[in-house]
Amino acid sequence: MLVNRKLILAHFWLAFAVFGIALTLGAWQMFIRSPIGTWLSNPELYYRSLTAHGTVMGYVFPTLVAMGFGYAISESALEQRLIGVRWAWTGFWLIVIGSVMAVIPIALGRASVLYTFYPPLIGNLFYYLGVVLVVVGSWIWVALMSINLRVWRKAHPGAAVPLAMFANVAGSYLWAWTAVGAALELLLQIIPVAAGLKNTIDAGLARVFFSWTLHAIVYFWLMPTYIAYYTIVPRAIGGRVYSDTMARISFILFLVVAMPIGMHHTFADPQVGAGFKFIHSAFTALVALPTLLTVFTICASVEIAARLRGGRGLFGWIGALPWDNPMMLALAFSFIMLGFGGAGGLINMSYQLDASIHNTQWITGHFHLIFGGAIVIMYFAIAYDLWPHLTGRELIDIRLIRTQLWLWFIGMIVTTFPWHWVGILGMPRRMAYFDFGDPAIAPQALSVTFSAIGGFVLLASGIMFIVILARGMRAPQIDAGAYRFALAVHQPTTVPVALNTHALWVALMIALTITNYGYPILNLATTAGTSVPAVYVGAQ
Amino acid sequence: MSAEQAHGSSVEVAARVERRWATIAVIIIVAMALLAAFAGIHRATMPQPRVEITDPSRIHLSGEFVESNLGSVLEANGNVTVRAIGQQYSFTPACIVVPVDTPITLRATSADVVHGILIQGTNVNTMLVPGYISEQLMRFARTGDYLMPCQEFCSFGHEGMWGKVKVVDKTDFANRAKAGGRLSCVGQ
Amino acid sequence: MSTRDLFTFSNRHFTIGVGITAAILVVTAIAGFVVLPFAQPWVRFANVWDAICSAAGVAQRAANVTTPDQPKRLSEVVLTSRTLSRPSQEAIGRGATLAQRCAICHGPTGISRADSPNLAGQYAAVIYKELHDFRSGARANAVMSPFAVNLTDEEIADLSNYYAYLPRLPAYHPTPQLPKPNIVIYGAPMRGIAPCGSCHGSLDNKTGSPWLEGQSEAYMKAQLQAFASSERRNDISQQMRNIARAMTSQEIEAAAAYYASQPPDIVKAVD
Repeated sequence: MLVNRKLILAHFWLAFAVFGIALTLGAWQMFIRSPIGTWLSNPELYYRSLTAHGTVMGYVFPTLVAMGFGYAISESALEQRLIGVRWAWTGFWLIVIGSVMAVIPIALGRASVLYTFYPPLIGNLFYYLGVVLVVVGSWIWVALMSINLRVWRKAHPGAAVPLAMFANVAGSYLWAWTAVGAALELLLQIIPVAAGLKNTIDAGLARVFFSWTLHAIVYFWLMPTYIAYYTIVPRAIGGRVYSDTMARISFILFLVVAMPIGMHHTFADPQVGAGFKFIHSAFTALVALPTLLTVFTICASVEIAARLRGGRGLFGWIGALPWDNPMMLALAFSFIMLGFGGAGGLINMSYQLDASIHNTQWITGHFHLIFGGAIVIMYFAIAYDLWPHLTGRELIDIRLIRTQLWLWFIGMIVTTFPWHWVGILGMPRRMAYFDFGDPAIAPQALSVTFSAIGGFVLLASGIMFIVILARGMRAPQIDAGAYRFALAVHQPTTVPVALNTHALWVALMIALTITNYGYPILNLATTAGTSVPAVYVGAQ
Repeated sequence: MSAEQAHGSSVEVAARVERRWATIAVIIIVAMALLAAFAGIHRATMPQPRVEITDPSRIHLSGEFVESNLGSVLEANGNVTVRAIGQQYSFTPACIVVPVDTPITLRATSADVVHGILIQGTNVNTMLVPGYISEQLMRFARTGDYLMPCQEFCSFGHEGMWGKVKVVDKTDFANRAKAGGRLSCVGQ
Repeated sequence: MSTRDLFTFSNRHFTIGVGITAAILVVTAIAGFVVLPFAQPWVRFANVWDAICSAAGVAQRAANVTTPDQPKRLSEVVLTSRTLSRPSQEAIGRGATLAQRCAICHGPTGISRADSPNLAGQYAAVIYKELHDFRSGARANAVMSPFAVNLTDEEIADLSNYYAYLPRLPAYHPTPQLPKPNIVIYGAPMRGIAPCGSCHGSLDNKTGSPWLEGQSEAYMKAQLQAFASSERRNDISQQMRNIARAMTSQEIEAAAAYYASQPPDIVKAVD
């Protein structure tokens, strides 16, 4: 039951429009710093573009996808009209206003501080205010998801919350809490300085606050993808979810352990104690657990689909899978990229291995593979799956859809594999150009060229994606029927309270944040003499 | 066997398989954590043990990062200490000279914004956060020239912030150290 | 079981969830705060408490070290983005009076007729820093040093504010505009040279770095050479010596000639 289709479509369209812009900027960046581009006479243009690319891809695009998908889940999984539609539109417009507000100073070169902010560098006040508005807009969505679930629970006492909604609400709580770190950094530290009320800032503390957000935000980006793995893929390929309980446990684990691990982003920082680095490192290892469980459950679910289709043998069933189904293709690509990206993540997680690749191009390669690859390709799949239900029109170009997914996969591999490699060679991040003519770094030139070519393949795929969706708006009308989610092999009738509610796990998440972040933050905040003069970028 | 029973036993089988897989996953994770701890101790790559603070706008006036103290010094115990700063957009000293096969302590800080020190081809990699002192142990197994780019965005000249490290043999370094003062390979 | 029992030990999920989390936390805390610190033979801690505090990140002031004597005087100026940020009209007025002494070399409008720097519209922090350095002896010049030696802190600030306030005028002997040489546009990354504009105004301004458009070619060339040979050393922590040393003599000439040929109004407006 999708009633507020316009609302959901608005979120998706805005998401994919800004995605298209940021993708174009990304491809340009890959090109301009590669040996096939010519050096920029104004390196600041690169950092401007980089700030826009990061801000849009990090804060705006995935947030809008999660929100639009969240509203769709709430209406279709709960079979209940969305409560608070007006608020939902308010949230949407806050994001629109915030994005515009943030992008104008970026475009003018007044906020080239990158999406990670990097105080004591300080950009234009409106950039930060814009980001705050985007986050506030998304918090409205968090509240609405919670309210809608609560209303449903009242109407269905004791009933098992549908898995899709359970996961969706878990994702929204994760986001609400993880955004608090960056919000504290912005509100308590950066905005007073950008507004001219203060002129010193504790850069070390700011990095700790940001690390609070920086890792769990990735899991927030990941949530729609995992929801699709569990609740869309099995249905789309004609199978069933292997285990509803395991799915719930995975989402709960994300909620609990995605958050208190962010300090692995500060392994190389001098302001964090070694003890806390170790604790965060250990918890980071734990976050691999829900992913490993997911890999098992989804592979098993896919196997069920294959066997239902007549697949036989130990591995023979793989051939029986519906490989011409875009959802199957997207899942396979996503898993391959998740596998490689996850292996890379295990390297980043350990202090010792991290030292050889910290802040090199390896890291950029890593998160592009995970986010741009494994996660975003499922965003595409979600959009393809939902589109007929949102527009009431058929997506006819199945072949084009397959080509688009293939191109995205190939593009991502061609882009990120050489990217990882030059990172191992020690190529630093975020430089506007490199002198590949110098013999010391000339060997990296070929890899960087491949990456840049991959960037254009991705751009082509991104354009195809938008064209497919746009054409879907004008295709012949069909009755797509009700939007449904996958059923489990053993569909639960009752679920233990702990696995049907979030309270316990949210409490645990907050408690772990206090144990893992409380002291480091208090310690830095109360130590005198750690604030340093702000450095205003673009000031003359 | 009734349908009910078949259902019950298949639930059990599913749960058992799942538990096995979860156990394997946990074992993998624990093994990795132990491996990391062991490698850290065995290969002496641990985070810096202490947090030390300093005022970045005054480092040139007093303390260990005054200009005359930047560079490499041979300590009485045969180890080497290197002191360096990062600033927009260079490292001082811009070329660091150290001996091969010697335990070296790098102490560095930033004079303005966040920078990073990365020595290519090694595990030496640390952030320079203004207000705090970074310390890292290092040891070079072979002589030669290494590139040392700034690895963190530090505003619009970031792409031009590349330092160098020159690893020389021990006697060469000892000879240079005889003259006293702080060594660097700036201008060589 | 009802929601009310969620947070009690009768709830298996609560017991297991909290139990495992707490156990992991305790084990990792003991390892991170006690075991690992002492497992590093190359670090010495006074006692267990010292190890725990250090691992927790309690900040310490760096220990005092004896530093080699500095034979030549270096800059003692502390520059931050708030140095002289908001001048008053009175300060500018006082500066105007003081500046009459400077007009012989630096011109009555702040534009030099000789090879002295043009000061009209220069960043206040630049003049502030150089005057302090001339006064302290960190920078020496036969003409400037005697002028600076008697200035008070307030006079230095007033002069800086006055000159910063003056409009940027074209050079006294404008030369035809030259195209940008590579060293100015791109720097030379692998030699550690960032584009000049990333500090000197056209891209961004690093506090204390002057804008250079329309300055005397001979003056800029001489200063670059002086930085390269370390004859001039009042740049804090060698920030300019690092750059000048890495430049070739052709690059020094090209950069000086280029900047001398530029009209000063192309420097971006003051914020």
